[in-house]
Amino acid sequence: MALNDNLDHELMRVRVAILLMLMGIIFLIGVLWRIQVRDTSKYRSRFARQSMRAMRVPGPRGRIFDRNGVCLADNRPSYCIAIYVEEMRQPGKSSNTVNQVERVMDLVAGELGIKRVVTRHDIKIHMLKRRPLPLLAWRDIGEEMLARWQESDISMPGREKYLPGVAVAIEPVRIYPQKDVAAHIIGFVGYSHAVRKPDDDYDFHLPELQGKYGVEKTCDTLLFGKSGERLMRVDASGFLAPNFLVADTEDRDDDSGNPMPGSDVVLAMDVRIQKMAEYVLQGERGAVVVLDPRNGDVLALASAPTFSPNVFTPRISSKDWAELQKDKEKPLLNRAMCEVYAIGSIFKPVVAFAALVSGSTKPGTSYSCPGKYTYGRLEVGCWRKSGHGTLAMRKALEQSCNTYFCKLSVACGYKAIIKTAEALGMGRKTGINLVGLVGEAKGCVPSDAWKRRVYGDKWRIADTCHLSIGQGPINATPLQMAVMASTIANAGCIYKPRLVFKGNQGSRQIRFRGRNGVIPGRLVGKMPWTRSMLDVVRGGMLDVVSAPTGTGKRARVLGVKMAGKTGTAEYGSRSNPKKHAWMIAFVPFDNPRYAIAMVIEDALSGGRSAAPRIKLLVEEILRLDATAMTGPAERRACKEQGVES
Amino acid sequence: MQGTGSRELNSIDEYVYALKRMNWGLTLVIGALLTISVMFIYSACYISDELPVRTLYKRQALWITAGAVSYFLFALYDYRKLRKMGPWFYMLSLVLLVVVLVVGVTVYGSKRWLLLVPPLGIGIQPSEFAKLSAIILLAGMLSRFGAGVKKMGLMIAVLAVVFVPMLLIFKEPDAGTAMIFLPVAFVMMFVAGIPLKRLILLVFLGVTVVGSLVTVVLAPERFGLREDQSTGVMQFVGIKQYHKRRLRGFLDPDKDPTGAGWNKLQSEISVGSGGKWGKGYKKGDQNVLGFLPRSVAPTDFIYSVIAEEMGFMGSSIVLFLFGVIILFGMHAALVAQDKMGRLLCVGVVTMMFIHTFMNIAMTIGCLPIIGLPLPFLSYGGTFMIVTMSSMGIVQSVYIRSRPRVRSL
Repeated sequence: MALNDNLDHELMRVRVAILLMLMGIIFLIGVLWRIQVRDTSKYRSRFARQSMRAMRVPGPRGRIFDRNGVCLADNRPSYCIAIYVEEMRQPGKSSNTVNQVERVMDLVAGELGIKRVVTRHDIKIHMLKRRPLPLLAWRDIGEEMLARWQESDISMPGREKYLPGVAVAIEPVRIYPQKDVAAHIIGFVGYSHAVRKPDDDYDFHLPELQGKYGVEKTCDTLLFGKSGERLMRVDASGFLAPNFLVADTEDRDDDSGNPMPGSDVVLAMDVRIQKMAEYVLQGERGAVVVLDPRNGDVLALASAPTFSPNVFTPRISSKDWAELQKDKEKPLLNRAMCEVYAIGSIFKPVVAFAALVSGSTKPGTSYSCPGKYTYGRLEVGCWRKSGHGTLAMRKALEQSCNTYFCKLSVACGYKAIIKTAEALGMGRKTGINLVGLVGEAKGCVPSDAWKRRVYGDKWRIADTCHLSIGQGPINATPLQMAVMASTIANAGCIYKPRLVFKGNQGSRQIRFRGRNGVIPGRLVGKMPWTRSMLDVVRGGMLDVVSAPTGTGKRARVLGVKMAGKTGTAEYGSRSNPKKHAWMIAFVPFDNPRYAIAMVIEDALSGGRSAAPRIKLLVEEILRLDATAMTGPAERRACKEQGVES
Repeated sequence: MQGTGSRELNSIDEYVYALKRMNWGLTLVIGALLTISVMFIYSACYISDELPVRTLYKRQALWITAGAVSYFLFALYDYRKLRKMGPWFYMLSLVLLVVVLVVGVTVYGSKRWLLLVPPLGIGIQPSEFAKLSAIILLAGMLSRFGAGVKKMGLMIAVLAVVFVPMLLIFKEPDAGTAMIFLPVAFVMMFVAGIPLKRLILLVFLGVTVVGSLVTVVLAPERFGLREDQSTGVMQFVGIKQYHKRRLRGFLDPDKDPTGAGWNKLQSEISVGSGGKWGKGYKKGDQNVLGFLPRSVAPTDFIYSVIAEEMGFMGSSIVLFLFGVIILFGMHAALVAQDKMGRLLCVGVVTMMFIHTFMNIAMTIGCLPIIGLPLPFLSYGGTFMIVTMSSMGIVQSVYIRSRPRVRSL
């Protein structure tokens, strides 16, 4: 009995042990249920966090076209030899892998006969910071090297010395097909130095192009598009995991992560006129702006000397960049809008309008010119020492008589002149959608307050006289002068210069649907000029070019009625006087379609330096636009026959 | 008390009869687990760059073959003869444990291995044999006395038998394996009939000692000790710095996610990301991408691999199979014809259970990382042979059980 009791006792204890163990198993199943079923999403996201890397991928950058669809900025593929480090992995220390990358790189270098450009240090940095990405060992290798690569024994599987983990990768590179043309307008791009922000969700960034100058900069957002995201799976050591290893569990199926290509930008510029404008400036320092007076379209905006935007792609060396910046000729400066010049006599039509509008002068008012203007101790010389005799406004404009305009300005007062100049947009930015390295310059229209602030002196008659002939502190950009010329040409409408077509303005259909193929511009002001005022000032400007004695006669184009005004602005010290040669013009006289302003730095005079260049430019413009000289009716007919250029 | 089922096996017929009486259900379940083992060791290693690691599953198959042989040998061998062999086995394993401390190969900072065939890297872990030999010796000792089992002297003798190999293994150091002895001895003493009060007192003592040791190691200031005094105590008891790190890693894995807590964290992520149905065979990215360290994936963390690839379904099926093994093993204990057999089964099943429970609990983050393999599934030669031999002994007990008068 005792034995049996003992046995029962033992068996009971065995059963207790069984029970405890089964409870242990059930406990484990409970924990497993919690981890694997209830909280699985938590662990999945933890897994994703440690094994997924997000890379910001820019979309293809938009292109830039001129008004006729000529491509000014494009993307081209640049071939790189890329090393996929994950295929170079060596067991042991990471320096073994670096050694292997170096070894492979030397092999490729030997096979292709090129020099290694990536140092051991670069490889280490790459392994540290961009491990899942391919290492670009040679960038932009060119067609010839690409061919040599493709024919080599190392490039393809199955070939004799095939190197796995080395392949050609393509990087988009900005290219400017028109070479140096319109460099100051198009500008250039650089790689943005993406600084990792704390709230940035991306682990890596591909180099992103960023506009640094010109339209590339002002339209950067539009051209850039939207960056996308690429997800990569990495292994525990941070190398990119081969695709076949990875179960595609949570790959996104929407394409919210895809980059959006940037939009194309259409410029109002006509690259043919631009080319000619740059041609006539060759060898000089200066600028020329051609506007369409009907809507403010910037047809050409040239600055000389210029630079080549292509040296900025794929990357500009710091040496080249320093040279460009240090160059005494300042090729990076956009003289057409970022530089101000003393304007000289081209200001005289403004003075004439001011006097007419103020009512102090009638179109027929005459003054005599004895060769200089004197007022108390003040003496202002006229360029013709012998004097012009008595002359009316039209003649005074043609002859650019200083005496006449001094007398005119004293009669109407400087405030009227300042008011007109400011109404024409001088002294403030035109608001053109373009920048250089710096923004647009404002220029200066002096006033009593200005003079008190800067010189601590009140406004005097002498200031009025100097102002009337465009001397003294008054200055402006060539672009502002082009706006002025355009306003005279279109009888008083001030348009904001338009360089970039907005939205679908750039499309062909819209351009033809506008009146006479002209898309309405943005009117920012209207001058109170009557027909009779316009007739006399424009008549004077017509004579400047067409009269045998006109100061701008060298700009005359046979059979073309053109109006203009030359200017020779003096600046610099008394011992070293220098002159800027100016000319403004608009053509055709009766139905103006082109308004031009040109400045040549340190030249002889407006009549001798600027006028012949205007002539060349206008000849080319009219050759391109054969319909410009005919009336609107004929133009419509031409368009229907497809002659429109 | 001599059962009628006991027979001397001396002819082919009797061997066949014995095989027929074997618990084939148990053999089947073991076979299933072994198949899973080979499959998932392959899955855990196929991605490796190193050929020996990639072909680890083949070596495991080899160990399984050796294990199967010893399984059947022990099943046919009459366990009652083990009573006499017990002390010799025990002495032998103690000798081996001393030898390994002298000439053992150091792996991951501890001397656990005796190289048998150095060029092939084939070696044994004496500590694994020590477990089985201790179980055999304890079963012999505890079953010798009928009512005398309640004497204090026996308990002290049992504790002595357990502590000697424990200390030697602790010296290697291999704290995980050393710890196994305690619960095994405890359950065997419990079933043998040692009064519960005394056992509870024992447990209380043990918990106090271990608890104060942990406090001294992790928070010496609680006892008013300085850091160097704590280190002194650690050295005296034989606790190494890495034990401390592991303990820390368990208590606060996020604090040091790349250090000691890494394995635990990654194992938990593996298991958790497996979800209900798993990621599919060979598709456990946690393992494939190497976040679950490759060195431990086929050994101590094989269960993470299974749980990740097969999900909750697969991992609970594996647990179910272990449950079946425990039930079959304990059934053999219930029907054993003598106390020796019963204690052998209880000891072996307890060892299996403790291994299984501790290993799985650590892979799912419920226990600190202690290097304990999972029976039948983890890669490992010595442990495989010991496990299979133990199960063979259970079968031997079952084959020679009482006729089915009473059962569960």
